[in-house]
Amino acid sequence: MTTTPTSSPSGARWGLKTKVILSMLLVGIVPLVVGLGMAFWQGSQEIREISGESFEALATEAARKLDLLVVEEISHTARIAHDPTIIRELERRRDALRDPKRSTAAATDLEQRWKRRDPAAMTSLTGNTLSALLHEYYAGVYSAPGQLLPQVVRASTKMLFLTDVQGALVATMTDHPAFRHHDAPWWKGAFNKAVGKLYIEDIHFDDQMNTYVFTISLPIMDSLRYEAVGVLHHVIDAKEFFSPSTHAIRFGKTGHVMLIDSRGIVISCPILPTGVPLSDRNLTPLVTPQHPGWVEASSDGHGGQSTSVIGFAPLPETSRATNGSIDNGSWHTFVWQSSDELFAPIQHLLTWVMVFGAVAIMLLVSLGYVAAGRIVTPVRQLQQAAQAIGRGELQTPIQINTGDELEDLAREFTRMNAQLKAAFAGLTDQVKLKTQEVQVLQQSTDQILDAVPTPILLIDAHHVVRYINQAARDAFTIQTPLLNASLFSILSLDQDDQKQLQAEFKMNGNTAATLPNIERQTVPRDPLRPRTDHEPAGHRSELTIGSRIYHYQWFRLPTKPGEEDSIGLVLRDITDESRLQDKLVQAEKMGSLGVLTAGIGHELNNPLFGIIGLGEILQDEQDLEHIKSCAQDIVAHGRRMATIIRDFTGVTDREASDTPVSVPVEDVLDKALATAQTSVDMKDVVIHKSYAGKTPVSVLPDQLRQAFVNLLTNAAHAMKGTGTLTLSTVVSDHTVTTTIADSGPGISKQHLSKVFDPFFTTKEQGEGSGLGLTVARRIARKFGGDIRIECVEDRGTACHLMLPINTSTSSTGGPWTTSVSHSKS
Amino acid sequence: MDHLRFAFQVITIAFLLGEFWTVATLHAAKENPTPVGIAPEKVADYIHAILEADRTFYTSHIVNRLQEKGILASTEQWEQENTLPLPAQFLQHSGRLVAESGSGIRYRLIGFSPIYQRNAPATEFERKALDVLRRKPDRPVTGIVSSGKKQYFQAIYSDRAVSSACVTCHNSHPLSPKQNFKLNDVMGGIAITIPLE
Repeated sequence: MTTTPTSSPSGARWGLKTKVILSMLLVGIVPLVVGLGMAFWQGSQEIREISGESFEALATEAARKLDLLVVEEISHTARIAHDPTIIRELERRRDALRDPKRSTAAATDLEQRWKRRDPAAMTSLTGNTLSALLHEYYAGVYSAPGQLLPQVVRASTKMLFLTDVQGALVATMTDHPAFRHHDAPWWKGAFNKAVGKLYIEDIHFDDQMNTYVFTISLPIMDSLRYEAVGVLHHVIDAKEFFSPSTHAIRFGKTGHVMLIDSRGIVISCPILPTGVPLSDRNLTPLVTPQHPGWVEASSDGHGGQSTSVIGFAPLPETSRATNGSIDNGSWHTFVWQSSDELFAPIQHLLTWVMVFGAVAIMLLVSLGYVAAGRIVTPVRQLQQAAQAIGRGELQTPIQINTGDELEDLAREFTRMNAQLKAAFAGLTDQVKLKTQEVQVLQQSTDQILDAVPTPILLIDAHHVVRYINQAARDAFTIQTPLLNASLFSILSLDQDDQKQLQAEFKMNGNTAATLPNIERQTVPRDPLRPRTDHEPAGHRSELTIGSRIYHYQWFRLPTKPGEEDSIGLVLRDITDESRLQDKLVQAEKMGSLGVLTAGIGHELNNPLFGIIGLGEILQDEQDLEHIKSCAQDIVAHGRRMATIIRDFTGVTDREASDTPVSVPVEDVLDKALATAQTSVDMKDVVIHKSYAGKTPVSVLPDQLRQAFVNLLTNAAHAMKGTGTLTLSTVVSDHTVTTTIADSGPGISKQHLSKVFDPFFTTKEQGEGSGLGLTVARRIARKFGGDIRIECVEDRGTACHLMLPINTSTSSTGGPWTTSVSHSKS
Repeated sequence: MDHLRFAFQVITIAFLLGEFWTVATLHAAKENPTPVGIAPEKVADYIHAILEADRTFYTSHIVNRLQEKGILASTEQWEQENTLPLPAQFLQHSGRLVAESGSGIRYRLIGFSPIYQRNAPATEFERKALDVLRRKPDRPVTGIVSSGKKQYFQAIYSDRAVSSACVTCHNSHPLSPKQNFKLNDVMGGIAITIPLE
């Protein structure tokens, strides 16, 4: 035995085979059961209806037969009632009773004697002519030929007697009857106020006869049939009378016909004794309507409580005369068969149906098993093949030869497997290729990064170094590749720098916060400004590692999804640059000093040579007047020199001040012009001034003057001593623009982009340092302004120096103003 | 007021009764010496006219109409079947009611070929009368008959098949001895019996 699919690892799971068998069973059993049930129900219904209709027909037929029996008995009895002798005798008695002269004593006497059972009286009534006639009729003497009274009818006759118009006994066959009957219902009914009427009395127990009887009372009409002159009363034993007819009708084991009256009292039944009521009172109204029919009742009337089919029919003629009229009672036949017997065929059918059903189910199960096996085996093969494909182990084609969709499916599986294999092979090649490409890319990136002279480090979010390029390795003397080393273990930073870096990294690329810092830091340090150590470290993107200073930049590198971004850190060694810049500033200072010294020398030379010349004249001069004149000139020259020296010292004095003060920009410009004139030959230069007034700016006046001096010197140099110099200030919004325009040859386009570069100059060797504009721009930017150069070739250059206007009015007057006024004097 | 009205009514009634008695007495006194009566033939004619009219009306306007409209048929077993009585039954049952009323007058249907033997002619007179009526159906046969000491006037009128119902029933009833009746045939007679005392 192979293992069943239900013994799979998951116990609750039903295998395909079980499901197929169950489906087949369900598909088979449900219609089978429904069909059998319906057939059974329909069969029962039909049996019920057919039985009911048969019972009804039988009941009707039986009723007709019994009715005829009664009618025949009535007609037999009626023969007696029509006998002329009897009629004449009773007419005579009627007339005698009507005779007013007659005495009632004789009748009373006879009654008394009859009650006493006096033999003479007995004989007078049982032995008279009429009684003999009754006997003769009873014996069938007057019956028509061939119409002899049946023995049973004769035997069932218990009493037969005649009464007169007053109900008194006239003649009787037996000695049982009472003498007077005028109060008896049957007598009243039959006599019917002398009109006369057939009266059939319902079944009752007769004490004298000691049996259940029914009676037929017929009026004896006079010869004219005008009125009743007496009553003929016939007492019949019900059981004896009806049983030959009812008991003969039997069908099956229990099926029979019985006769009941409208009260449900049994008149004749093969099973129940005569005179007993039906066991179920509720049944009576169902089976005693005035028309034939059948009913499905909840009891059978014979003591059984099972559902019964009962046919019934009234006896029409008999019922019409029962108790005088049909309203007072009626007789009915009752046809019944026990339901066990009635439904035996259907029970039989059910049994057989169940047997056949069981056989069908067994067939279904076995066929289902075979069919399921045929379906499931290839499916399971396919499942195993799919598993093999999943593991990539399927080598041989799947062998399924069912010749249906499953075979097609297996073929498709095989083809799919082949295609998958081919696809995988191609995919592997591609992956190899791509991997090589990636490796090459990585190597080239590494080489590029290694070739970059600046140190570059890649760190992850936890500051663990992932990559170090060659420059960094060299710079930080790292020999072996460090794995999982922290950034700060490689870079020997002080605490402040570490904190600054960590804080910046944590900003998570919040460029809005970092950008201003970086931008500000990209501006090189003002070389004219002394370095202050109390400047906050966070504002510099510079790191001091060992003895060297590095400018650093960092950026985020996206990594694989789900991981935190890496950080790239680029360091630039600015130690040399920083030193060079300091040297530059120094050189500029020295240059300026040289120019200044030359200017001073020039200024001082003139009076000095004057003094020397005058002194030489004085050596040979005798004329006192001339000597005095020369002396006065010497004093004048000396004073002029003193003034020059004082001015120079005035300039250097203010070098120390580093607090911006509010001064009118025009004053600074004028001062600068004066200074420039001392150093540059501007005798033939026409100066135009167009000032907007006294525009206050917050600056270090000496530095601003230095900037103006540089610009003015440039302008003067450009004009080579002759031309027009235009100075103007224009106020707009919050800015004052100072323009210094010359009429020189201008700057060529190729030089215009370089004019702010340090050491760029168009002058001859020794004439300029190449730092003038650079310094001027740095000064302007230091005070929140800028310098712009506008140039039209051959038509001159215009330098615009923009500065923010100082809106605070507190420092309009100051030492500088005094100094200006002083210089002018 | 009420007492007065009551007294007035009593007096009025008493007066009316007295007058009635006086008239009745006078009438009796007047009839006694010279008895003036209606001839029994007349009485029988009256009765027969009524019977005929009643039965004709019943037949044509009740039985036929209801039967034509399919509402209710008339059958012999009308009591059991909840139908209308046949016209012949109508006459017989009304005759029974008349007899039971005790007025003395009786009538019944008789015939030579009755479905039920009780409707056969009972006496020689009836037999002869039917025989006469077969030939001369237009006039009744009348006569005085007696039962014991009692004397009766009997008038027997011919009875025709007035409607198809009569013919159909008699021709198809299993107990009918004659089954070739036609419409308007004399099927028998109506015997009216009036006691003479």
